Amino acid sequence: MTTVDMARKARFEAIWAEHSVKVRAYCMRRVASHDADDVAAEIFLVVWRRIDEIPPAPKTLLYIYGIAGKVVSNHTRSFRRRSRLDEKLRNLGVAPPVDPAFLVVQSSDDVDVAAAVRNLRPKDREIVMLYAWDDLPRDDIATIMGMTRSAVDQRIHRSYQRLARALAPLIKPIPSPPVAEEGAT
Amino acid sequence: MTHDQIDRMVRRANPLPDLNALEPVDASVLTTPLERRMDMQIDDRPTEVKTDRNRWSGPLIGIAAAAVILVAGLVLFLTRDNTPVAEPAPNATPISALNFDDALAPGAYFVDTDGDEASSLRGTFVIEGSGWTSVDAGARKTSAESFVALLVVEVDQVWSSVCESTAPVAAGTTAADLANQFASNGLTVREALAPVNAFGHNGYHLVGEVPAGCGGEVKPAWTRAPVDERWYDPTEMVEYWFLDVEGTPVMIEASWAPGTSPEEDVAELNAVLDTLVITP
Repeated sequence: MTTVDMARKARFEAIWAEHSVKVRAYCMRRVASHDADDVAAEIFLVVWRRIDEIPPAPKTLLYIYGIAGKVVSNHTRSFRRRSRLDEKLRNLGVAPPVDPAFLVVQSSDDVDVAAAVRNLRPKDREIVMLYAWDDLPRDDIATIMGMTRSAVDQRIHRSYQRLARALAPLIKPIPSPPVAEEGAT
Repeated sequence: MTHDQIDRMVRRANPLPDLNALEPVDASVLTTPLERRMDMQIDDRPTEVKTDRNRWSGPLIGIAAAAVILVAGLVLFLTRDNTPVAEPAPNATPISALNFDDALAPGAYFVDTDGDEASSLRGTFVIEGSGWTSVDAGARKTSAESFVALLVVEVDQVWSSVCESTAPVAAGTTAADLANQFASNGLTVREALAPVNAFGHNGYHLVGEVPAGCGGEVKPAWTRAPVDERWYDPTEMVEYWFLDVEGTPVMIEASWAPGTSPEEDVAELNAVLDTLVITP
């Protein structure tokens, strides 16, 4: 291995050490957990190939998220094909494997909310996930998505309105406090 | 439901809320396949030529797999689009200055919703992609079998049904009246009428699908002074925002054909909507 190769490998290992947990978390929030590690590996494979083009901090992680979005999107297309196979298996009485990603969700309401988020349009869904689940600042989301900050604001606003309409049945009215009867002590 | 309530619900539904809950990255899980593939990329030692025909199959499969991975990686990056959407420019071109179906070069355009140059009310948007053309109150992009379109209008008259032959009536004079007219005109409601704040103004949102034929032909739905009649196509999906722009009801209509509008075109339509600014 040449000196240049060693330097590239050292940089890759540094990026891995710093960002692999976040990238793995990104994958686990978007794909079934049994696939998350493979998708994360695929993302880092692309990082390795593009190691000379990866910008320095603080842009490094944003650039990797950009790669991750494409890899996950590609994986999701494959997953949809597999889902159609799952459907056929179901019709034959064979249960497809449960998506373990949902097992960590704590309540049925949360499952419904997560499902509503996943039903958003692809770009809107990614923006909402980056904002609310990956906890990224809106300016960073704008950089990752190649949009203006105001466009990101609009998308979040519109997506939350859609979610509000979709989730309205989940909202339970708060019971009124009992009113003390007049003269009661 | 408020923005904050929704935000709390979405954040609570995070499948992995705490990174600390994630066990340290198991290098054997991630590195094994990765390093194996890295070796494929960086190992430039000359391959020993084997004379045995069968021995070619292993390296050939490996080379083919590497080629597939390389092409896939290349495609991932070639399709990446980092071009930022431009802010609406002050020197936007009036759509009314163009002929119907004129090609729209990338840039900013505006619809003067009442056709009155003395009033400032207008909708300004930015076109980034190619293939967009002007229509009387907005822009559209057509493909071989489909379309996407954005219109910004002050509606003049409406038909009470898109499926029956009726006489048009005057459009409501408030955003609420207008919204109610569209919510009951025979479209199949896909997202019920709901109050919103959108594009900087309060109003109502509705998504409807045009019935497939209505047992006959689909009739016009609305007109905009002075000339146009808007006819829908069967199964066309239409998303509306009826906004109260300082007392004037303005309708934004985004439409596409589910199943036939290319995903890229629908994405471009959404990108155009992102840039839309309604100026009172």
